[in-house]
Amino acid sequence: MVRVKSRYLLCEINVPDRSRLFLLDDRAVAAAVKAAVARMHGDYGAALCSIRFSVKYLNAHTGIVFLRFPKKCYRLLWSALPFITCIETRGQKIECFLNCLHVGGTIRTCQKFLVKYNTQQLHRMLPKCKSEEERSQVREAILKCCLTRGNKQEFGEESDSEDDEEQ
Amino acid sequence: MSSSKAKMREKKMKNQPSSVQYSPSTTQNGGGAVVSGGGQLMERPKTPHQSAGWSRGHQRDGGSYAKEMPKCITAGAFARARAAEVSSMLKAVRKTTGSCHVFGALPKHMRRRAMSHNTKRLPRRLRDVAERMREKSLQAGSKKKEQAKNKSRKARRRHGNLLLEFNRRQRKNVWLETHIWHAKRFFMVKKWGYCLADKPTSKCYRPCYRALSSHCLLQDLSYYCCIELQGEENNLLASLSQLTSKETGPTFAAALSLSGQKQGSVVMYRAGCYPLQPLGPVTFLWRPQSQGSTLRQLWIWAHPTMKKDLLTELQTVCQCDEAVAPPIVPIEQKLPVTPEDKQIAGTKRKQTVKDISGPPAKKLLGDGTRSPTTPVSWKSNCTGTIINDLTMEMVRFRLIGPQSHTVLAETLEVATKYGESDKLKPSSLWWPEHCKEESKMVLHQEQADAYHLLKGILSAGELPPGTVLGLTVEDPRLTLPTKKLKALPSVQKAQEVDEEKSRELMLKGVPKHCCQSSLWDRSVRDNVTENRISEKELNHLRGELLVPGSRLSPAPPQSSVPVLLVHQPGKQLGHEMSSWGAGWDLLLPKGWGMAFWIPLVYRGVRTGGLNMSLKHSQNKGVPHFPHDYPDCTSGALFQDEQEAELLEKFRRRPPAKRTNYIKHGCLAPFRCPWQQLAEEWELILIEEGKKKDSQTTRGADEVIKEETTSLRDMTAAKPVSCVSVLRCRKSLRLLSGWCRPTTSKGQRLCRVEKVPQLDHPAMTSFLTAHGMSLVWVRLLMPSKGKPELHAIVCAPTAEDLQLLDKGPGSSGPQEPLHRDHFKSRRKGSTKTATSSLPSEKSEGQMSHLLTASEEPKPSSKASSGFTAGLWPDPLPSVTSHCSRVTLGWVTQGDFSLSVGCGEALGFVSVTGLLQTLSNQEMKHRGILLLRNPTSLHYRFVKVTIEV
Repeated sequence: MVRVKSRYLLCEINVPDRSRLFLLDDRAVAAAVKAAVARMHGDYGAALCSIRFSVKYLNAHTGIVFLRFPKKCYRLLWSALPFITCIETRGQKIECFLNCLHVGGTIRTCQKFLVKYNTQQLHRMLPKCKSEEERSQVREAILKCCLTRGNKQEFGEESDSEDDEEQ
Repeated sequence: MSSSKAKMREKKMKNQPSSVQYSPSTTQNGGGAVVSGGGQLMERPKTPHQSAGWSRGHQRDGGSYAKEMPKCITAGAFARARAAEVSSMLKAVRKTTGSCHVFGALPKHMRRRAMSHNTKRLPRRLRDVAERMREKSLQAGSKKKEQAKNKSRKARRRHGNLLLEFNRRQRKNVWLETHIWHAKRFFMVKKWGYCLADKPTSKCYRPCYRALSSHCLLQDLSYYCCIELQGEENNLLASLSQLTSKETGPTFAAALSLSGQKQGSVVMYRAGCYPLQPLGPVTFLWRPQSQGSTLRQLWIWAHPTMKKDLLTELQTVCQCDEAVAPPIVPIEQKLPVTPEDKQIAGTKRKQTVKDISGPPAKKLLGDGTRSPTTPVSWKSNCTGTIINDLTMEMVRFRLIGPQSHTVLAETLEVATKYGESDKLKPSSLWWPEHCKEESKMVLHQEQADAYHLLKGILSAGELPPGTVLGLTVEDPRLTLPTKKLKALPSVQKAQEVDEEKSRELMLKGVPKHCCQSSLWDRSVRDNVTENRISEKELNHLRGELLVPGSRLSPAPPQSSVPVLLVHQPGKQLGHEMSSWGAGWDLLLPKGWGMAFWIPLVYRGVRTGGLNMSLKHSQNKGVPHFPHDYPDCTSGALFQDEQEAELLEKFRRRPPAKRTNYIKHGCLAPFRCPWQQLAEEWELILIEEGKKKDSQTTRGADEVIKEETTSLRDMTAAKPVSCVSVLRCRKSLRLLSGWCRPTTSKGQRLCRVEKVPQLDHPAMTSFLTAHGMSLVWVRLLMPSKGKPELHAIVCAPTAEDLQLLDKGPGSSGPQEPLHRDHFKSRRKGSTKTATSSLPSEKSEGQMSHLLTASEEPKPSSKASSGFTAGLWPDPLPSVTSHCSRVTLGWVTQGDFSLSVGCGEALGFVSVTGLLQTLSNQEMKHRGILLLRNPTSLHYRFVKVTIEV
């Protein structure tokens, strides 16, 4: 029907030093994107980027970011993302690049994709594990994901949602 | 964002994942599973990382990832973080909306109409949950309903239960006897411990005004408190003289009032405190002296807000510290409703069979809030003075308007004498007993004659003010007309009356002995109250009549009621519209309120509430209690209440739609800082005096110097004196003369006695006496404009007065727009860093108009209690805040229907007024400026002080 349409970009921030990832915050990411767009596309780009752009979600542990762009111009803005080389936050420059994993029309599709993607990642990690302890931890994490996925089928059970909250 | 909106949003975002990041101050941001995983990450401090190459969150090629793998803990934590993210995402994905309905989770194409109503329309897997939800909501709904409804409406409306309910509701706020009649027709307010009618629900402002000025307006003033003093005349007068001052007009000792012929009114002060600490205005009535007795009886009628103070003050001056309970108890026992009621109300919840066992509920008469043990009478041991609190013991109706006597004459008929035959039989009723005494019957006849004379009068204003007439009348219900008819004066009746006699009545008032009434006797009052025929019995008697609708005769013996008619003076101040709004007060024994009210209403009178009494006093130009008594405690209390009320009303508007009073240069739109005003004018005067000093030392005018120095000494001597209102008649007359332009054409100067010239010595001597006072002024707007509440009264400059010369049509000057210094601070507090450029730009044009003195530094008060558009406390200088010097404020302002132009009443500082007047030319004396709080336009007003 009638609504404001946007595109949501699910991006991953890749850094050389993972501990520095914790320094990130959404405002810094937004500023970096804006700067990059302004550099690439000038005033026109900056104006486009100022309208309905926002950072909807940021996970400083995994480096996952949801960016919202207006649907009309998201390609143009997207094209500036590879030129981000560093994000300045709290007086420090973090070298990084953004890797776009998914483009969705709603946050929901991005979330769904992220679930799938994360579980896939964990599965890939498992055979690479070196020690037994590590292996058990990864396995536990995978199990957690699987459990909730399994529960997904029995939707609406109250006990289920309580389980979720406990996690 | 409003709180409900915020709540909705919170509900909606409940399941959405929040960003996981670290704020600089706290180690963790947000909550939930993800952070708990991350918290472990942070606790492990700075494990040395291999920072070789790009590490990537995921691994497309396992090799690069493997480089980071040696740190086994990292991987575990990493996996945990992933898992946490997955779970939070899953939660967000599954719980779609904030809505608690199950079908919200269904995709759109699977939703069906009325799914919430009929669960069968849902897919099977969701049905159970939906059922559960529905039950829950049903339970919640039923719980609310159960609380509201406990008895059927029919049961609740049953007479006994209804009375019980009414009595319960009367316990907190006293109901007048006409309460239910009023509650159906008026907006009721709970004020001063009473439930009072404020204004009618129908639109009748103008009809009410017409009734005031040409027919009759009826009000129930039973909430006024009556305090009775009994004792020796000398003792009473001696003690009461401490509370009043002769300077404000006739006191309790005035000869006409003392004889009981006239009702007097006086402003009372705390003992020996005049002119400070007034209690408020009261009216009083002396009982005419009966033969051979020095014991006198005095009724003081006071407003309920000042009753408590007045009572304590009276007790101290009369030395009546001994509370007398016993003589009151029988009266309380005659109305045993109060204690029983409480018992019944206590057991009401249990739904017992109390209706059978307990006595039937009785209608509550008098003060229902008072506990039966509270003393209402105090006695003095040394002087024998007794103070009785007669609150709610009598009903007082006020009829205002020129035809009010016509209405009274139609409604009330003099009681017929009791039959000769059964004179000897002893009776429990007072009237047959009363009829046995010949002297009383003679008096009754004379009173009846005087009453008949009243019918010949054209207007109620023709009588001498305050006339009192005692009377015994028939129950007016007996002569109730079948239809509501407007009582009109009949010329025929007027001609019948002897002209000589009526002229005498107009000049001298009612003869002295006719003021006596049995209403003064407590026993008679109680007897009448007790033996009132109920409506039901009366209707029964009527039903037995042979000719339906004919008059009931002979009248039942219990239908004679002693009443007092008290004339209320109309407008006494000023020259025009004199005796406007005169009328009669009708005093009845309690319990008879409705019996008289309905017949009065059937004579086509209008009824008014509190709002109308305010308008009445406004048109009369007199201060209304407690609105216009800022120096009384009740007046100050009223001001606080009014401020709170107005402020709340102001805050209810959206901020963008509020008036910015700062920009309008209005410091106090909701209250008037009288104290500050008076103090500032005092300071201004001192400074002026200093200036004069330096001049006069050269001129060697020693006298003025002395006077100013003495003035300064005096002001230094009384550092914190309260503001007072000037009520001294002599000074007011002087001031009133000074306000008048002497060369104006329309003024009839011959009537006014010669006033001394307004020159410097006169002014100084006047100010030494009344420097800190305020004076009640009436302001008329000759041109356009309608003054509003708390409009500012200012002194015009010389240029403004030149503007007036140009022509009558020229409107007043404009106030330049002020600057809102608090705006930027407000913006800063909301964290939006955007500068207020556009507003400053527009104000920049005006800023050159602002003088440097008008830019006070924003006070350092925190913006916690700060409302946009209002000056925060403490206020800057109130006098010099605007471009014109402030003199005072308006407390009542409206378009006056009687004058036909805007009329305002308010107070101005005496010092300020005199300063302004002395600087004005003779031609323009008494011209001031008035500005509404919501406007920048000054209007010219003429100031008059009416004495």
